[in-house]
Formats: sequence, C-alpha cells, structure tokens
Amino acid sequence: MSTSHSKAAKKFLENQGYADWHDNTFWGLRVKRDKMAFSVPEWEQLRTKASEIKRHTLMNIDIYLQKFADAAEKNGVTVHWAKDATEFNEIVYQILKDNNARKMVKSKSMLTEECGMNEYLEERGMEIVETDLGERILQLAHQRPSHIVVPATHLTHDDVGELFEKELHSKKGDHDPTYLTHVARLSLRDEFLTADAGMTGANFGIAETGDIVVCTNEGNADMSTSIPKLQIAAIGLEKIIPDYECLSVFIRLLARSATGQPSTTYTSHFRKPRPGGKMHIVIVDNGRSKWLADEKHWETLKCMRCGACMNTCPVYRWSGGYSYSFFIPGPLGINLGMLHDEKRYSGNVSACTLCLSCQCVCPVKINLGEQIYEWRQQLDSIGEANPQKKMMCKGMNLVLDNKGMYNAATASAHLLNYLPSFVINNGLNPWAYAHKMMKFPKQPFHKEFKGKDESDK
Amino acid sequence: MSTSNDIIGKCRASIKTRLPRPRLSDIDATEYIEPLEEFIRQAQDAGCRIVQVDNAAETDRIIKETYPDAKRIASALPIVKCANLNPDTIPDPHELNDTDVGVVEGKFGVAENGAIWITQDVVERDVYFISENLVILLQKDQIVSNMHQAYGLVTFNNYGYGLFMAGPSKTADIAQVLVMGAQAARSVTVVLYNHPATPIES
Repeated sequence: MSTSHSKAAKKFLENQGYADWHDNTFWGLRVKRDKMAFSVPEWEQLRTKASEIKRHTLMNIDIYLQKFADAAEKNGVTVHWAKDATEFNEIVYQILKDNNARKMVKSKSMLTEECGMNEYLEERGMEIVETDLGERILQLAHQRPSHIVVPATHLTHDDVGELFEKELHSKKGDHDPTYLTHVARLSLRDEFLTADAGMTGANFGIAETGDIVVCTNEGNADMSTSIPKLQIAAIGLEKIIPDYECLSVFIRLLARSATGQPSTTYTSHFRKPRPGGKMHIVIVDNGRSKWLADEKHWETLKCMRCGACMNTCPVYRWSGGYSYSFFIPGPLGINLGMLHDEKRYSGNVSACTLCLSCQCVCPVKINLGEQIYEWRQQLDSIGEANPQKKMMCKGMNLVLDNKGMYNAATASAHLLNYLPSFVINNGLNPWAYAHKMMKFPKQPFHKEFKGKDESDK
Repeated sequence: MSTSNDIIGKCRASIKTRLPRPRLSDIDATEYIEPLEEFIRQAQDAGCRIVQVDNAAETDRIIKETYPDAKRIASALPIVKCANLNPDTIPDPHELNDTDVGVVEGKFGVAENGAIWITQDVVERDVYFISENLVILLQKDQIVSNMHQAYGLVTFNNYGYGLFMAGPSKTADIAQVLVMGAQAARSVTVVLYNHPATPIES
C-alpha cells in the first residue's frame, strides 16, 4: 500500500544517523519558534487577526489587486500580469531582452521555482545567479530546495565543504561554516557587481502604497537590486495585503514563526525605481484565481511561506523534503501540490498522521491537516484510491454489514494467533511492516462485556 | 499576454462572499515601560554593537575607535568628517565596493525586535549593504515599542525605498550554524545619542 511518499521516505530512513540529525535540526527550529511565541503575550490574538486579514483580503482580492497595480504604476513601476508559468517566464525574458541584460542576480523566490524560470532563461542564453546562500549552494550542486525557508539544510557542512572545494576553490578540508560562508560572500560579491539585472520575490505587496516588501537575513535582495539598474519583482497574486496596519501584524509573526527570530535582519520596502533605473513587477496567477473558488481548500492561499508547518511535522522531519513529489514539501506542499495537479501529486497525501500540529503553529491559521484529510476523501473520485485498500474496505463492508459473518469472524479471530509467525508477519500483510501483528483475544469484546455484565449482577 | 482585466476578472468570478475587514485597533500590543532598554537588548541579540554618547558629533571619534584600520569611509552626513566617499556624489554604485565603513542615519528604532527604520536619503543606496561595516546614528528618544507603532511612523521621500534593519547580515544556511556577514554588512554599530550634532568650532 506504498505511496510515492512512503517509498521515498523508506529510502530516507535507511541512514538512521542522518534521519536523527535531520529530525533534531528541524525540531530545533520548532523549539525556537515556541520560545518566540511564548514571549509575545498577544501571540494568539495576532494569529487570529492575521487569519482574518488574509480571509478578508482574498475574498476582496480583485479590489486590492487593482489598487496595488494602480499605486505601483503611479510610483513609476511597470506592472505585468501572467496567467501561468509560461507567460511569467516569457515576460521576464522579454524584460531582460528589452534591456540588453544577460546576467541576473536574484534572491530566493518560491514563485520562480514554481514556474521553472531559471531553466527557461538559461536555455535562452541568460545567466541566472542565486544569491541566497542556501539557494546558491543548491544551484552549484544542481539540487532543488528541500525546504522553503532553509532550502539547503538537508546538506551537512561536509557536503557543502566538498562542493565549495570543487566549485569555488575553497581550502581543501576546511569545512568550517564560517569560513565557507565567507568564501561564498566573496564569490557572490563579484556576481552582484557584474550583473545587469536584479530580481526579488515578494513576501508582501501593499495595495495602498504599491510597495514590494521583501524579508531576508542576508541582505541579498537589497544587494541584488542596489547595483544593477534594472529590478524585477515576482509576486503571486495572493501576496497582496491592504496596508501597513495589516503588514505590522504579519511582520510580527513571520520571522518568529519561521526561524525563531523577532524579525528578519532586513525588511525592505521597494516602492520606486532607483534614480536612472527601471522597476518591473510581475503579478502571477498560475491557478490561484481558480483555487479561490474551491470552498474546501481556498484557505491554503492565506499562506505567507514561513515553513513552520514543515518544521513541526513529524512526517517531514522523518522523511525529508525530497520524499515529496511536489517542489514544496510538508503539510503546505501536500495541499499546494493537490491544488496544482491532484492526479500528479496525490502520492503525497499519505504523508500525514493527522496530528494537526501544523495548524496549531500556522501563524495564519490554515487548517492544513484537515484539508489533507479532505483530499484523502476525494482520492477515489479522481481515480487515485489505492486498489488494495479499496478491496479491504469492500471486504470490511461485507463483514460489518452482516451480523452472522461478523460474529463468526470475531469469534474465530483468535485462531490466527496459532498460525506460525512467518505466515502472518510477511510482506503480503502490510500491517506487519514495522509492526508486530497483534494478538487477538480468546473471546470477542461483546462476549466479554456481556459476561462481565452478568457477573456484576 | 494577459491583462489586468483577465486576471482580476477571474478572481472576481471566484469570490463567493465578501468577508469584512477585521478590527485591528483592539490588538493588545506589548508596550515597554523602558523601550530604550528593550531596544538595546534586542539589537544586541541581533548582533549590533551599541555605543551611547551624549552628542552625535562624537561619531568621528567612535568610528576611529571602533574601526581603527578603516581606510574607505562612506557617508553623506556632514558630521562625519572622516568620510572620504560620498554616496550622494559618486558617479556609480560600483564605486562603493570595498567600503570599510558606511555611516548612515536611522529614523527610529523598534524595541520588540531591535530593528531601525532607514529611509533612503542618498543617491546610491548600496552604501547600506555593500559596506563591510555599518554605523547607524540614532537619537535615543526615537524608540517605539512595537511594529504597530512603527508602521504608523514610516515615511518615504522621493527615492521610494526604505527598510527596517536589525543587526548585521547573517545566515545559518550551512548546517544551521549562525554566521555574521553573509552578503551585506559584517558588523553594525549603533550610535545612540542624546543630542543631534551641534556645530563644532574647528
């Protein structure tokens, strides 16, 4: 009854020492988040307000999008609209071409990952340099992010050390994180100075003022956009919020939930092009406008990408980001994957114990776990229900619907105890994987209960 | 290519009920009795060095004491006499590469997270990031308790850029080990002063 996720997770768990380290690392982020949450007395009130603001904004997003675009254009920014990934990539390519730009430095953006932008532009002769350290490591290693906030945390410092020896000519055998970070700093400094364009994602777009707000710890979004004269910002349409009064609520929650910091080092507001420069904003739909109408799942759009749901998720911690078939892992990724393509990504919905820890920490109160439960209920209707489970359910139905069969089955269940272990605990019995088969009681519960009832009299 | 009408129209068609905006004025935001003390604590946690002086005119002395080996000092502030690069008059942002110390002005600080609001007030804003070390001048009585108050004070000028900055550039992307000086400033010194600079006779 394996799903694509459970098969991949099994491989991940082959190295128990690594799995332990992975679990501890991400649980550490959860502990840091808790420390922050407990130090803010109004924390729960902020979560409630954040959820309500997002619900309000999404259910009036048409109005706020118009307001945002109008404000940005008034600021001298060119606004573009992309209905899907292809349009987004074409727009960015055209902007670069129109400005004779060939090399672009960029900060982390899950939206550009979603659209496969780097590959698209590279195929057309553009040079794209990721400047967030984690993303840069992955770019050099030809890997994809395993987490949305700390994308390269699945790699150890030895992995990075060996990579840098090869790619950045760092000292052999020196795998100290401080040294390696400074090697990357020097190499990226050259990239910033020689780039023709700078790109950022967006944590928030402010409808009232037209600001693009970007939160980073490294300052790479600011470095990327302070030297080249051409700036492009990519923003998913769900990232628009009304105004600064709303923004203050999210800023208080974001870094505390993500990394356990009271704020990121840089919370940058890009409102206008630099003197003598150009600024473009590309607003991307790519399914979002359709998901708004999905009564069961539209609240996934409230997400502000803090990653707290992944850090707390026992399945994520014990299976790693690459066990999920969608590029965003964890509880958020399961839901977003299903929204994008429910047939293609249904192998992830099993990656949940329904412990609901994710929705207890989510700063905007998305009911992530409950939604995963809903997706599971929909599996049969999209033809993705597991045939073995379906057959078992049919069998159970037959037995549970028929009193005689039920009584016969429960009365004789204990006979299974006498079968030799290899008959029961083998590969044909999925229950026997990682469990020992249970012992059935001598008499069924009904009989025992009745007997007790009699003896009490 | 899609137009705003296409995408906004699709959104409008998907909206079932228009939910009201929540009231935000009733948030019980934490306020500190001594915001300055909390600001200092948080800014230090974020990696800042804090220096307290009476008069902002002492900045030159602080720079010399804190960064004795600095050769290239960038600032457009008239009180920074030791500056030899001006981000307002250089022809190109690349000129600021290899700046040892950049000196800039903060508008106000936030106690809950140690962040300082900076409004771009020079032509080349890379001075805030490309400088190896950054010195931020901040008047002591300009500290608010929380981000709600802070966003009530944020203002922009014609440059259309501003930011909250909390300490030096940092990363934990390699094995979750915290390292200062990822891409931008490796150190940040906050000079807290009581009085703005009074002209000093030379």
